[in-house]
Amino acid sequence: MNKINILIIEDLKSESEPLVDLLTKNGFNVVAVAENFKDAIKVFYEEPIDLLIIDVFLSGVPDGITFAETISTVPGSLKPFIFLTSSKDRKIFDRAKLTSPFSFLMKPFNELEVLYAIEMALEKFYDQGMALTGETKNAVINDDHVFVKKNKSLKKISIADILYVEVEQRYCNIYTDSDRYVVLISLVKIAAMFEEHSFIRTHRNYLVNSKMIEEIILNEDTIILKGKHSVPLSDNYKKLTKQFNLLS
Amino acid sequence: MLRKRLFLEHNFDKLKFYSTIVALFILISAHCQEKSSTDLIKSEFEKFPMAIRTDLNFKKAYAFFLENEYDSTLVYSHHFIVSHGSNDKYSNYCHFFRAMSFRKKQLFSQSRKEFEMLPKSFPLYINAKMEMGTIALELGNYSKALGYFLDAKGFPQEDQRNFKKSIIYHNIGLCYLHLEKFDESEKYLLESLSLQEKEGDTMLLIGSYMDIANLYYEQYKDDLAIPFFERAYTLSKKTKNFELKQNAALNMAVVEENRKDYLKSIAYRKEYEIWNDSINDQNKILAVAELETKFISEKKQKEIEILEKDNSIKKAQLNSFIYSSVLLSLLAVLLFYFYRSKRKVNKIILAQKVTLDALNDTKDRLFSIVSHDLRSNVNAIDKNNSKLSESFETKEYDEIGPQIEQGNALTNSTKAMLDNMLNWALLQTEQMYFQQEDLSLRSIVNHVTHNYEPLLSSKNIALKIDIPPSMFVYADSESLKIVFRNVIDNAIKFSDAGDQISIYTNVQSDSHCQLIIEDTGSGMSNDVITDLLGQSKVGSKKINKERTGLGLHLCQSMMLKNEGGLDIESEENVGTKLIFSIPLTKVYE
Repeated sequence: MNKINILIIEDLKSESEPLVDLLTKNGFNVVAVAENFKDAIKVFYEEPIDLLIIDVFLSGVPDGITFAETISTVPGSLKPFIFLTSSKDRKIFDRAKLTSPFSFLMKPFNELEVLYAIEMALEKFYDQGMALTGETKNAVINDDHVFVKKNKSLKKISIADILYVEVEQRYCNIYTDSDRYVVLISLVKIAAMFEEHSFIRTHRNYLVNSKMIEEIILNEDTIILKGKHSVPLSDNYKKLTKQFNLLS
Repeated sequence: MLRKRLFLEHNFDKLKFYSTIVALFILISAHCQEKSSTDLIKSEFEKFPMAIRTDLNFKKAYAFFLENEYDSTLVYSHHFIVSHGSNDKYSNYCHFFRAMSFRKKQLFSQSRKEFEMLPKSFPLYINAKMEMGTIALELGNYSKALGYFLDAKGFPQEDQRNFKKSIIYHNIGLCYLHLEKFDESEKYLLESLSLQEKEGDTMLLIGSYMDIANLYYEQYKDDLAIPFFERAYTLSKKTKNFELKQNAALNMAVVEENRKDYLKSIAYRKEYEIWNDSINDQNKILAVAELETKFISEKKQKEIEILEKDNSIKKAQLNSFIYSSVLLSLLAVLLFYFYRSKRKVNKIILAQKVTLDALNDTKDRLFSIVSHDLRSNVNAIDKNNSKLSESFETKEYDEIGPQIEQGNALTNSTKAMLDNMLNWALLQTEQMYFQQEDLSLRSIVNHVTHNYEPLLSSKNIALKIDIPPSMFVYADSESLKIVFRNVIDNAIKFSDAGDQISIYTNVQSDSHCQLIIEDTGSGMSNDVITDLLGQSKVGSKKINKERTGLGLHLCQSMMLKNEGGLDIESEENVGTKLIFSIPLTKVYE
């Protein structure tokens, strides 16, 4: 549910197998390993993909770059991607660089480098600085997902699944029905980003997904959310609840 | 009898003055005609359409005609006739101009031709007839002249408005006189006289009187002639025309002579002489004045010519100066251009030479490494493999374990060397992809050391990394990794069990940070360090069996390319300290 879906485009099994193992071990979901350009296109448009790892050379020709160029030309369909390469040859890089944002991973690579490259690709793609690679508890937020690190592995949270956000000093705790994620971000900033997803402030320290509200108990200054989670409702924000047709 | 003799005696005189009279009258009447013609042309010109009035040729012909510049008139009227055709309404005016001009220039036959081109409808047709008559008269062709004048007389009254009828009559009378048809002559001259007496033009009147007097005198009708002579004489006193005065006096002298009144005759003769002198004086004065003006104008002309020549010389000098300076500057520009292009070419050639030398150097070094180090490594692997298979055949299994381990170590070092060589060649030939960006230094170091963890634990070497997570550097990640790999490789190689490798940072300045990789291994002597750092030629000298210097050289080159630096501090048996200086990210939190 909260795993990041990855498509690998690599023609050599000896190269792709350790990579798949490594990614799976680190909590990623490898949707498929495409061995050529045609398969890659098919999978890319059929499956929900969050990120691509593309080998520059497929069967000796730089089809990987061609693939990146192809998906770059369709507006809205582009996803974060990483080039896999074993050569630092400038000619290849000069061509690959034209597909932006450009991230790459040199062979041979180790686990840390792969994870770092994925974080880097996400940051660059959504243009959010050094949010993940900075090793502080930060998150990359796009239109409807939050990418956040939990226990060293990278998770994807759908914003619609978030129940509420609670501030604790400099950090925000993001609660879903089953999990809690810690992100270094101010409530004001996160409120601005979540506004279009109908999140409302109910307390100085709370931001609630209004679609998850099941019950508002005014006497106890409490809001009950789906899954029996409760959040406080302070007097200052009570007037906001008036936008709901209250029965009491 | 006596009369006859006298007459014959004076016949010459008489004939002479006779013709003078005619010429004189023609002059006067011609003047009148001309005046009336020009007046008429002027009034007609005002009525012309704008197109003709502004036509350059016509305008000029007209203007020159009025100013009596006949040559110019001829030229421009000809242009106009050519451009508008001979039969154009306005070309007739030009024909008229031309006829008048030719007449003035005494080219009578040309003049007549031009006059004859004029159609009857031409407003000045009668003038033309009169002019032709005058020409014929002047040429002594009296019967022809008579014809023209009679034609003129035959014109309707309104067409004669431009003319004094008296002149026509007078001219006819003159013609008859010359043709010795005295009766006709008398009739016309008297008619003319009566008209002139009404008009009161003194000059014409004097002429008429004299002509009539001559007419009668010719017929020996002295009684009738003398009063006319006397009238002419008295009238002549009132005019300022010397010629008229003179002729009147001469006539009187002849008359008195014939009447034998010699005293009076002599008095008249004297008067005649006086007038003659006056004419001569006047002519002389005029001639002197003319000469003077001619002289002055010539002088002026000469001065102008001299000035013009001066001017042209100066102009020529100036022109030649300008031309030569332009040429010189062009030459200078050209020379400068050639010089510059040559210099450019030389520069390019020099730069190419330097690059070629460097490339050649690179190639040589690569060859030396390949031929020596790589070859010896591969040889060692080969030997090891032979030993291994030997051990396997002889079933000395105890030896296989360490041999495999040694084989691995050899392969690893060969691989590292190969990597370094490749990277170094790429760097030297500028074929390496190089992109500086913001990097977390801690991540990069972690990525590199991650691969060494198994080796470190097997060799029992401790690794301590202390880099703040907020340390961001601006560098190319791959080249930085190559450098760190080399250094950590070396640190492990020269460390033994129980030694420690520590990696930490030290903020040096606003722009750079220091990364220190320190080991407690065997260390190096100062000589070795200077050798390593100062060594310009890789592989030129083997420092010891494990070191080619290529790795360190590569590290130095790559740090320089990253706008950083590399320094070594080492003490034998204490340890080695490699100090990197790396540019910091411009803005970091």
